[in-house]
Amino acid sequence: MPQFMLALYDDPSRWPKLSPEEMQKAIEKYTAWSKKPFVVQGKRLALDAGRVLKTSNGKPRATDGPYSETKEVLGGIYLIEAANYDEAVERTLDHPHLSHGTIELRQLFM
Amino acid sequence: MIPVQVQPTKDTGVLLEHLFRHQSGRVVAHLARVLGPARLDLAEESMQYAMLRALQVWPNQGVPENAAGWLFRVAHNAAIDAIRRGRFLEQNTPALVAELTRSNFIISGEPDFEEQLRDDELRMIFMCCHPQIARDSRVALSLKTVGGFSVREIASAFLADEAAIAQRLVRAKRQIRERHLTLDMPHGADLEPRLDSALETIYFIFNEGYATHEGEDLIRQDLCFEALRLGRLLAASSIATPRVHALVAVMALQAARLPARIDQAGDLILLEDQNRARWDQGLIAMGFHYLDLSVSGNQVSDYHVQAAIAAVHARAERLALVDWPVILDLYDQLLAISGDSPVVALNRAVAVAKVHGPAEALAAIERLCENPQLHEYYLLLAVRGHLLLELDRREEAAACLREALACRCSEPERRFLRRKLVQCDQPKLVFDK
Repeated sequence: MPQFMLALYDDPSRWPKLSPEEMQKAIEKYTAWSKKPFVVQGKRLALDAGRVLKTSNGKPRATDGPYSETKEVLGGIYLIEAANYDEAVERTLDHPHLSHGTIELRQLFM
Repeated sequence: MIPVQVQPTKDTGVLLEHLFRHQSGRVVAHLARVLGPARLDLAEESMQYAMLRALQVWPNQGVPENAAGWLFRVAHNAAIDAIRRGRFLEQNTPALVAELTRSNFIISGEPDFEEQLRDDELRMIFMCCHPQIARDSRVALSLKTVGGFSVREIASAFLADEAAIAQRLVRAKRQIRERHLTLDMPHGADLEPRLDSALETIYFIFNEGYATHEGEDLIRQDLCFEALRLGRLLAASSIATPRVHALVAVMALQAARLPARIDQAGDLILLEDQNRARWDQGLIAMGFHYLDLSVSGNQVSDYHVQAAIAAVHARAERLALVDWPVILDLYDQLLAISGDSPVVALNRAVAVAKVHGPAEALAAIERLCENPQLHEYYLLLAVRGHLLLELDRREEAAACLREALACRCSEPERRFLRRKLVQCDQPKLVFDK
């Protein structure tokens, strides 16, 4: 079965504004979605800019992650199984992340 | 720092209802007792950090077996970290870290520790409801700190501005620091005024939740149940008086009617038109339990009488079975205790109408109508209009209801008044007996 990567983007400054009740609701919704049978795995990314590695003057170097102009940053990834893009989209449409963020869907070469 | 272990749970990851909200109140209360009330902000930030961690970790790694304990530990570690990083350049840092570390080793769920947490929560209630804090601030602080509500949730429940609620919280915390309010349990001569202030705050929260407003119904119901929870916390403590039990009885018996109070269109259903089969029997049973507890001693407080009135309604399975003479008698008592409160007098008028007819009820509120302060009180005009309509004095009734519509009231109340106004133009239905 082909696999697809879901890249979840959202505005991290949004989270601290949630109330305890809203945080609990969010956890419950995300957890429930993560348990769907076609989900291979999911990971949350640390809330920092990370590092960018590039070769300049023939030498690979790491610099601090890109300064993002946009408010939405990559916050998590999922791998899911689906026959094709249509099914992958279909399976992702009810993801709770879509209430406030963006999901980028990409097929993986297996 | 104690490592946080994540044990994936075997279940579906469904959490206890309101776990975060309630655990937030308990952890903040506990941390504030250890750190001192002046560092309430640090206690809150630490708990906030723990919940944000859970938000990041749990959805993929699974909800830990002891979710409440996990939050407790992560919040503790965050507080220890903040103190170690020297956010407070004080001499007692090592002692604080030691105390936090000690309490972090205790397994939550252990009976002694649960008892300690309940005690911490109780102390926090008393501090948040301190008479030296303005009432508005007391209410906001209790909901935020003990109840785990957010500023936005409090603002939407009170139909207030978020900035205004935030201001009240800032003011309350400043008063705690400046007046050196402590988390000590009140005792001696201090106990009664402190307890009164807590009960008043709790009942205010309940009534705000119970009042009918447009929208956000869920959050308003949450206020009722939070007030009930706080009341029961006080009732379970060693300092509970019959008055505390009476208040819990009032709240439980009134909350029982919540499912029957609004129709599908969101319109108000008056007590007499409610489908009593929809009243929550569990809450009614709870109400009677606390009513029984409240009769020890010979104190008869306003809460006792209100509970007794609610109990008469709860006992009657149908409207026709309501014992109105008993209710009228109770309202007479309540009116005396309340020092002739206009709100009580209005409610009493409804009972007068049931026992002696609308003409007597109208006469009973005549004095209120002369009070210039109540000229713009929609409920008085609404009751008067209703009684005039019963007496078939339609033009006067319509004028009265129109006046009521011009007053401040909520949308559901407005729709109710309009429905009444339509009735004024309809021919009176005559039933053959």
